[in-house]
Amino acid sequence: MDSLTWAQAHGALVHFPVALSFFALFCETGALIRWHRPVGESLRVAGGFALLVGAAGSCGAVVSGLVLTRGELFGHGELRLHHVFGWPAFALLIALAVWRISLRQRPSRTGQLAYLLPLLLLGVLMAATAHWGGRLALAYP
Amino acid sequence: MSPVKTLGLSLGASLLALGSVALLGSILARNARAHSHELPQWTGLPVPADVTPASLQASGRKLYLNSCAHCHGTDASGDEGPDLHGLQVSDRRMASVISHGIKGEMPSFAKKHPPVEIAALIAYLHTLE
Repeated sequence: MDSLTWAQAHGALVHFPVALSFFALFCETGALIRWHRPVGESLRVAGGFALLVGAAGSCGAVVSGLVLTRGELFGHGELRLHHVFGWPAFALLIALAVWRISLRQRPSRTGQLAYLLPLLLLGVLMAATAHWGGRLALAYP
Repeated sequence: MSPVKTLGLSLGASLLALGSVALLGSILARNARAHSHELPQWTGLPVPADVTPASLQASGRKLYLNSCAHCHGTDASGDEGPDLHGLQVSDRRMASVISHGIKGEMPSFAKKHPPVEIAALIAYLHTLE
């Protein structure tokens, strides 16, 4: 595959972790608000699945991005900024997915809040990564 | 599972993920360096048939010194702009950056250099190992 095809693959795959991380944040926040109602547990389960699928999608996004840049881990300018936010976001997403898998039972409300804070940080990192990635996509049509 | 074990497992998984990224990145970068001496396969820029690679590179060096050296340094090792040695991007992308520039960082050279001169610049950049 040439670099244009990899660029298109990267552009398509990155939307899974970005969208699903935000969806997970939305669901888990809803679960915390409606903690004592059945809908709260449904939202928590939905948020967990969204995060796991997002984490799986992030692996494809990372591999396609690395192939696209021929192994460039940082680079210069906007690519560097994309990576500076992207690598912590990827690491945090994987960590949260493993955290979520290891939670066999419903956590306490405090535990849910402790899970929600890094998820919020993930949302910020994802937004910054997506912003600089979008700038790159516009700079190299 | 205890919270400490969960935290340790999560941390371990993220470190493993980042380690895999670094390993894959180094393999891809090494592979790209190993093939960087090969002639570019992309033929999107017009180069006259009678032009040899050596003359194209020499022409590219002159153009580089006129247009690029004041930002990237006369030896292309970087000054205001980045070091251009061992670039691991495609010719298509180099041509796009030279032509369109980078917003807020590098001007566009599309009007100053026609495609054949951009091809010469790219040929010169390939000599910078």
